[in-house]
Formats: sequence, structure tokens, C-alpha cells
Amino acid sequence: MPLREKVNTYQSGIWKSNLTLNQGEYVFVQAPSGTGKTTLIHILYGLRRDYEGEVNWAGINFTATDKETVAGLRTNGLSVIFQDMRLFPELTALENIEIKRRLTNTVTTEQAQEWLDRLGLKEKKNSLAATMSYGEQQRVAIIRALLQPFAWLLMDEPFSHLDHANTAKAIALVAEVVKERKAGMILADLDENNFFPYTKTIML
Amino acid sequence: MSNDLQKNMLKKLLLRTSHRSRLWAALAALFIGTTLLLLSVMIWSNFNELLYGKKQNDTLGSTFMIIGKRVTEQNMGVANATIFSQMEIDSLKLAPQVQDVGVISSNHFPIYATLGGRLAFATDMVLEAVPDKFLDNMPAEWAWEPGNRNLPIIVSSQFLDIYNYVFAPSQGLPQLSETSVKNIALTMKVGSGDNTETFIARVVGFSDRIGSVLAPQAFIDYGNKKFGKPGDKLSTSQIILKAKDPSDVQFGNYLEKHDYTTNSQNMRWSKIRAIVEVVTSATGILALLLMGIGTLVFILFIELTIARAQHSLTLLLQIGYSPHYLSRFMTGRFLPMVLGTVIAALIVTIAGQVAASVLVLKQGLVLPAIPGWPVWAALVISTGILVLLVSRSISGAIKKQ
Repeated sequence: MPLREKVNTYQSGIWKSNLTLNQGEYVFVQAPSGTGKTTLIHILYGLRRDYEGEVNWAGINFTATDKETVAGLRTNGLSVIFQDMRLFPELTALENIEIKRRLTNTVTTEQAQEWLDRLGLKEKKNSLAATMSYGEQQRVAIIRALLQPFAWLLMDEPFSHLDHANTAKAIALVAEVVKERKAGMILADLDENNFFPYTKTIML
Repeated sequence: MSNDLQKNMLKKLLLRTSHRSRLWAALAALFIGTTLLLLSVMIWSNFNELLYGKKQNDTLGSTFMIIGKRVTEQNMGVANATIFSQMEIDSLKLAPQVQDVGVISSNHFPIYATLGGRLAFATDMVLEAVPDKFLDNMPAEWAWEPGNRNLPIIVSSQFLDIYNYVFAPSQGLPQLSETSVKNIALTMKVGSGDNTETFIARVVGFSDRIGSVLAPQAFIDYGNKKFGKPGDKLSTSQIILKAKDPSDVQFGNYLEKHDYTTNSQNMRWSKIRAIVEVVTSATGILALLLMGIGTLVFILFIELTIARAQHSLTLLLQIGYSPHYLSRFMTGRFLPMVLGTVIAALIVTIAGQVAASVLVLKQGLVLPAIPGWPVWAALVISTGILVLLVSRSISGAIKKQ
């Protein structure tokens, strides 16, 4: 059944057709502002249910399942990098990492700290998220998304606040972890990203 | 990092509140409510123990009473006005609290008793008989059959008290022990005219329950048949009752309605019991109200705390924390407070019970030093309801996110 937003803001492309994604695909959702990239990511992550149609992740349909199952999916099958980062401002960078990491212990504290170092946040580990720049917060959010097992990684303009060099480092880390997990990823962004090794493009 | 650190982070995110005074007010109301509830159940339980407990002496626990019809200005001199009909006796068997009914029969023939020696006296006498199962004291010698010249009798212990403490000192007579009284032989001349027999009566026991002189039922029946006036209809003017709870208000009302008189002490307990029931019920209702208010304020405090942490809570759910895990975390923070107040209330109640048991011991009554099962049942039920309400309000508030 085609996905359709109830308020019918979006009238074209994915909103009126079926879409099947295969395990391990790297999907690039390209669209200009205001065409529903964030809405799509939120729908795919189960944050919004105000749509017609179905979203199925390996048989789990968000509109027909309970919150515990959704929590299980978000812990073990589906990870996300939000456009607005969504860190806990009252926690430090390391605490924001730890509060997610301890849910599954997939990654060790040492490895998580190494990733922080790798993305240039060594000196910011103990800084409160509220005091960090958007670019720093975005890097913490990227690392947080990689701390769990997942089959799909959803990314909503994840590098929008990063400069060229940091974007390259972040994409390299993401690609490395995604490959290691044999997972797929969906990147929603405004423009084509030269660093992102996509295999399928969807235009909204 | 340890689990404690994760809990500390969750605590930092979810348990921010500046309304400590509300929390303390809620806990104080819960404590006072629970304490009052347990104390009122304890008082009610103790009063019941004093009334019906096996450890008590007969003063409070008496279940036997003698009733008669009230003599009034109107029925004075009216034949059979104070006689119980068979229908009335049958009706009494069905009255509230009544377990058994016994007819008290008396002699309808003359008895003249004499005693020689220093205590010499001669008097007309009245004997009564009750079914043996209503006796509080069954001496081994308590048997009589026609042809036996020796007659065992049981005397009210009050008679001996009156003699020893009132009559003997005023008359310069020696006081008598129970054993010495049992050695006294009374000569009883029964009947009149040519139809008489003489018996040697001996006191074989004392009764705290019956306030007269008792002879075996067989003797009274024999005497009434042999020495009574021909055609004299035997009638019942007194009944002995075995009542499960003589202080029961309904039982008291039944006696009142039928204008039956009885042992006033039992009815006094009826009034005291009614007062205790009113006081404990009122305290119990007040306690439930306080507990209800305390629980409500406590739950409002929890919901306010969750509302203040809404942003963090939503984000935790979004990054994969399950509602169940977060409910368990929040419940784990708030339930110890509830259980702490309940334990404090229990300690106060146990202290009250110990004090009560010491206090009543001075009156010769016995109460256990630990609260009875009704208190524990009230504790378990009230705690269960509290835990259920708090847990459900937490999980409900989290599921709303």
C-alpha cells in the first residue's frame, strides 16, 4: 500500500508509491527543503503515525505494534541520526554516549571514546552538550547512533553542521561501522554528497 | 562505567524537582493515614481479643447469662406475667448471637434447712436446677438419684463472699474457706405434712455463673413430682442463655424489645463495644481519607515530576529505552518512599501494641505483644493498594509519552 501523509502535504514520488529496500542497500533520499525528508525519516523510525499505508521493518508494522516492540526495534534493528541531534543538554558528551551505549553494550567504552577522539572531540568529552557547538553536537549524535546493533541506519541531514574535513571523517566512520554490521543505510539530504557511497537514489 | 552511573544519569534526567515540600507533605499524610488505619484496626482487634479471647478471665469473656421478664408496675401481681411460654423459649433459640438455651427450674415444694453448732440457723430455702452443660463447675460428686439421702448442692461464690466480708465480721462469726464450707452438712426437710423426707445437703462446689443455690436436675424433678401440689403447673421464669457475643448490639436490642432483664455487666460491655466500634470506625474512615489524600498528593507529585521530565523521557524512548524499563526505574525511586512510610507506621503500631499489652496486664488482662492478624492483613492490603496505585500511575504517565 502506498505511503501517504494524512495531511497530504506531499503529493509526489515516494508518497504515492510502494518502496522496498533490500538489506545492505545504501539509499540516498535527495530532495529540496520542505519536501518531506525529515517527515519520511520520522515515519521510517516510528516517531510519526499520522499517515496512511504501512511501514514494515522485517514484519514489524509500526501502526500495529506496541511500544515495547518499537523500543526493541530501536535498540537492536534501527538506529537514527536526527537532523536536530536530540542530545541531552544536561549531560556531557561522554554521558550522552554512555546512556545509549549501556542499553546494549555492543561497543566498549574504550571504543566509544576512541571514536570521539577520531571525530576530534577528545577535549570535549566532559563538556555539557548544551555548551557545545552544533558541529560538535552533530558528531556526538553520529557516534551515539553507531553504538547499537542495527540492520538499518537512518540519517537526516547528518553532516549539515560539519565542515568538509569533518564530514569526510564522519562518513568514513559511519561507512566503516555500517559495513562491519552488514547493515543498510538511508541518508536524507539536500544535495548529492560526494563522500557517500550510495547504491540507490530516491528523489522526493 | 557502572550501573550506578547509568542510574545517576537517568536520575539527573528524570527526577528533577523543586517541590520537595509537596513530597514531604504527601509522605507525612501517607504516614499519618497508615498509622491511624493500623492503630484503629489494632484497637478494634484488641477489644475483640479482650471480649472473646481464650486468654481472658470470665469477666469480659462470659458467654452465659440469665434472663427473666422485667417486673413492672403494670404486671405486678398479674398471674403468669413473668413466665416464659414454650413459644418464647423457642424464639429465644433463634435470637441473634444465641447458641443455646436452658430452662432454670426451681422447687415447687417446701424446703426447710437447719444447721447446728456455733453457726446454727434454720431457714426456708429455694433450690434451682440448670442443665449440666450450663454449669461453670462440674464437681465429681454432682449426681443424685431417688433414694439417695445425700444431696450435693452448688452455691454461688458471691454468697461466700458476702458471708466472709460482710456478715461474719459484723456478727463476730469466723470466716470460712471453701474447703470448710464443703465440710458443713445441712439438714434439709423437704415436703409438708405427712409427705416429707429429710436429706443431708453438702456444698460440693461454687459457681461464678449462677447466683443462687443449685441442686441436681434429677432432685428438683423428683421433689416437684413427689412433694409439689397436685395439679400445680410447673412454669419457667428464668432462662440461662449461651450467647456467642452478649455485648452484640442486636442481641441487646432483642432483649430490650422483649423487655427481658439480664446481667447488667454484659449489657455494659455492649455499650462500651458500641462506643469502641464508633470510635474505631470514625478513626478508620479518617485514616482512609488521609491515606487517600496522601496517595493523591503523592501521585500528583509523581505525575508532576514526570511532566517536568517530559523532554528527557521522550528522548530516552526515542533512543531505544523501553517504557517498561523507565517505569521500573521510576517505580524503584518512588516505591521505597511509600514502603518507608508504611514501615514507620508499622513501627508506631507495634509500639502501641506493646504499650497496650503492658497497660492491660496491670488490670489482669492479657494482650499479645505483637499486633494481631487483622493489623497485618490491613497492612498488606493497604500496602498492596498503595504499590499498585503508584506503579500504575507511573507506567500510565510514561505510556502517555
